Amino acid sequence: MGNLEGRVALVTGGSRGLGRAICRALAREGAKVAFNYSSGEEDAQGTLAELREAGAQAWAFRTSVLDKAGLWEMVARLEREAGVVDILVNNAGLSQVVPLALMEEEDWDRVMDVNVKGAFLATQAVLRGMIRLERGRILNIGSLAGTKMLPAPVHYSASKAALQGFTQALAKEIGRYRITVNCLAPGVLDDGVSHNIPPHRLEEYLHHCALGRPGTVDEVAKLAAFLVSDGNSYMNGATVVVDGAV
Amino acid sequence: MVLRGGEAWRLRHCAKCGPREDRIAKDAREHLEAFLAPGREPSPDGAATKPFKRTTAACPTCLSLVDADVVIREGRVYFSKRCAACGPSEALVSEDARYYVEAYTYARAGSDPHRVDAKVAAGCPEDCGLCPDHEQHTCIPIFEVTDHCDLACPTCLVDNRSAHHLAPETFARMVDELIAREGQVEALAISGGEPTCHPRLLELVELASRPEIGRVMVLTNGLRIAKDRAFAEQLKAKGAYVSLQLDGFTPDVHRKLRGRDLTAEKEAALATLEELEIPTQLIFVAARGVNEDQIGKVVELFLSKDHFISLNFQPLAFTGRGGGTFPVDPMDRLTLTGVLAAVERQTGGALRANDFAPLPCPSPHCVALLYLLRMNDGGWVPFPRFADLRRHGGLLRNSAALPALPEIEQALQDVVYSLFARQDEVPGGRLILAALRRAIGAMFPSRPLPFQQAVRQGERQAKSIFVHHFMDPYDFDLERLRKCCNHYPQPDGRLMPACGFNLFHRGAAKGAETPRARFGVAPWNGEA
Repeated sequence: MGNLEGRVALVTGGSRGLGRAICRALAREGAKVAFNYSSGEEDAQGTLAELREAGAQAWAFRTSVLDKAGLWEMVARLEREAGVVDILVNNAGLSQVVPLALMEEEDWDRVMDVNVKGAFLATQAVLRGMIRLERGRILNIGSLAGTKMLPAPVHYSASKAALQGFTQALAKEIGRYRITVNCLAPGVLDDGVSHNIPPHRLEEYLHHCALGRPGTVDEVAKLAAFLVSDGNSYMNGATVVVDGAV
Repeated sequence: MVLRGGEAWRLRHCAKCGPREDRIAKDAREHLEAFLAPGREPSPDGAATKPFKRTTAACPTCLSLVDADVVIREGRVYFSKRCAACGPSEALVSEDARYYVEAYTYARAGSDPHRVDAKVAAGCPEDCGLCPDHEQHTCIPIFEVTDHCDLACPTCLVDNRSAHHLAPETFARMVDELIAREGQVEALAISGGEPTCHPRLLELVELASRPEIGRVMVLTNGLRIAKDRAFAEQLKAKGAYVSLQLDGFTPDVHRKLRGRDLTAEKEAALATLEELEIPTQLIFVAARGVNEDQIGKVVELFLSKDHFISLNFQPLAFTGRGGGTFPVDPMDRLTLTGVLAAVERQTGGALRANDFAPLPCPSPHCVALLYLLRMNDGGWVPFPRFADLRRHGGLLRNSAALPALPEIEQALQDVVYSLFARQDEVPGGRLILAALRRAIGAMFPSRPLPFQQAVRQGERQAKSIFVHHFMDPYDFDLERLRKCCNHYPQPDGRLMPACGFNLFHRGAAKGAETPRARFGVAPWNGEA
């Protein structure tokens, strides 16, 4: 029996990369897993099939984290079919390599919207149920770029730093309902947004990483599955950096 | 026996073995029903009487402290007393046994006064002033600034002798002492007599208008406000609030309770207060068979005007120069719960008896209260319609409005989350959330507000209705007195809990000629 038996988890942006790995890890621990995606139908169906083949109850919803009505509808359907969502992983995020000098206002807005506003909207959608349950785990996927001075895109770093503030304030605000809010901040991984890192930057990064290699999405996903489990009962408002020591 | 977490528990303390707790029922509600059932049966001969507890009461004849059984009969609560000198007597204390018993589940420990001056020697109420055994600090200080009055009410609960006006210097010293004891107070009441008879009342208002005091309230019959526009304008200019005695709308009510027809004067006072937008509390003394049929009408008036911040019902207490001789049937009188029932009946259920909750900081039998949230369309919704006040007990305060204080912000945020989680189950849930958003935004701006402004901001977001049952020789309960938070500061430095002062110290508990208790100290003692 896994650590998350009977739990209902929602992972935003769960169709590929780290999100998909987190879905897999949560399912392995016995959770019913739902995820949303905004594009990439094939990836989504692949993830869904993989979860179901592994014996998990799984749902995929095509809706953006910026579509408030879509999110609320998704959560309502999930509550009807699976039960109240008691785990939320705010994973949906995007990045874009562009120096500030060339950054368009739209670039800034898109990254801030998906990475920050998306977390806010998804959290608001699941929070009603968690408060009714007086139980919940919210895990925001941040980034090493939000905690350390790194040569990463400015809007991306700003958005991930914002998620830390979001984590801390929300943890304080809703802790009395026994809902914990934490942030997991990975360094460079072998999949996901790190794909966009130029080779010379990656080389420089690995030079400073004690383990000398990028992390894997599965390594981070396993940690995520622990962070949203009952075993992680007292950590709240924290940011956990998993970067191989940079 | 206590009701805790939905269960019933018996708490025992053995001097040898220490404390012990035993659960006696898993379902507190069922246990309560079973407990109340025998006392609900029709019982013309008193046979189906259910003992509830014991307390210390007063003999209505000689005013001595006596043991009393608190008993439930036909759904009502009575004191059954035994006085060695005068014999047995009974008195009605509540018309609703369920409310009376459940009220205890709201009780919370009092806050000690910062300073007490009296020593514990003979016990309560003899050592009064306050003594270390008193279990509550001062929420509402009531300063009697004069014993002159322009009415001679048949129900007057004090003892006006037309002999004293408190000197501003003495008043200033008394306020200083109050602040030294309390730090800050949300409301200071200037009373009498009739305070508008005090020739230097406006000076007193000015002296009390300090940053540590949220609002200065002048408790008045309104006669001077009705006829002296310039005076009312000065009250407004000085930032005073008015507590207007308004017991009804018909000549017969005024004649019975106040001695003469005041209809026109009350209307004039109300018009002036509205025109000048003076924040006003209405005080309605309610008596069985006299004006209880006008309770709904005063609620309607209260909800119709923005300058009314609070409505205070006071079931008539039969004590004082007038009230001590006013005709009373101690077995059939209006009590706190009778007022609640009348509110529900006469508002057609717009307000319900169970919208009210016992105020937890004094004895829960002293005051029932209800806060109403202002909706964005100008309407009002009782807080219990969307918030469980047992869970959000921080919202139950002895305050005419919800002040914008940190503890209220926390309580409102709790309410927001509870409602947010079940907004589809609560009628008008989304509209109530929108109103709470407005209220929180106004009360808690990004820059902190000074105390007085914090108090005023809250008044624009919520109104209150209180039912405060002062005690008299029939329903006096020492347990209630020990937690009283309405205190009369005295010129000699004592702080006197209101009902104890009225019963034992004024020498007028049963009319003007009542002998003062041997330990009683007369009002105005130590006047400079």
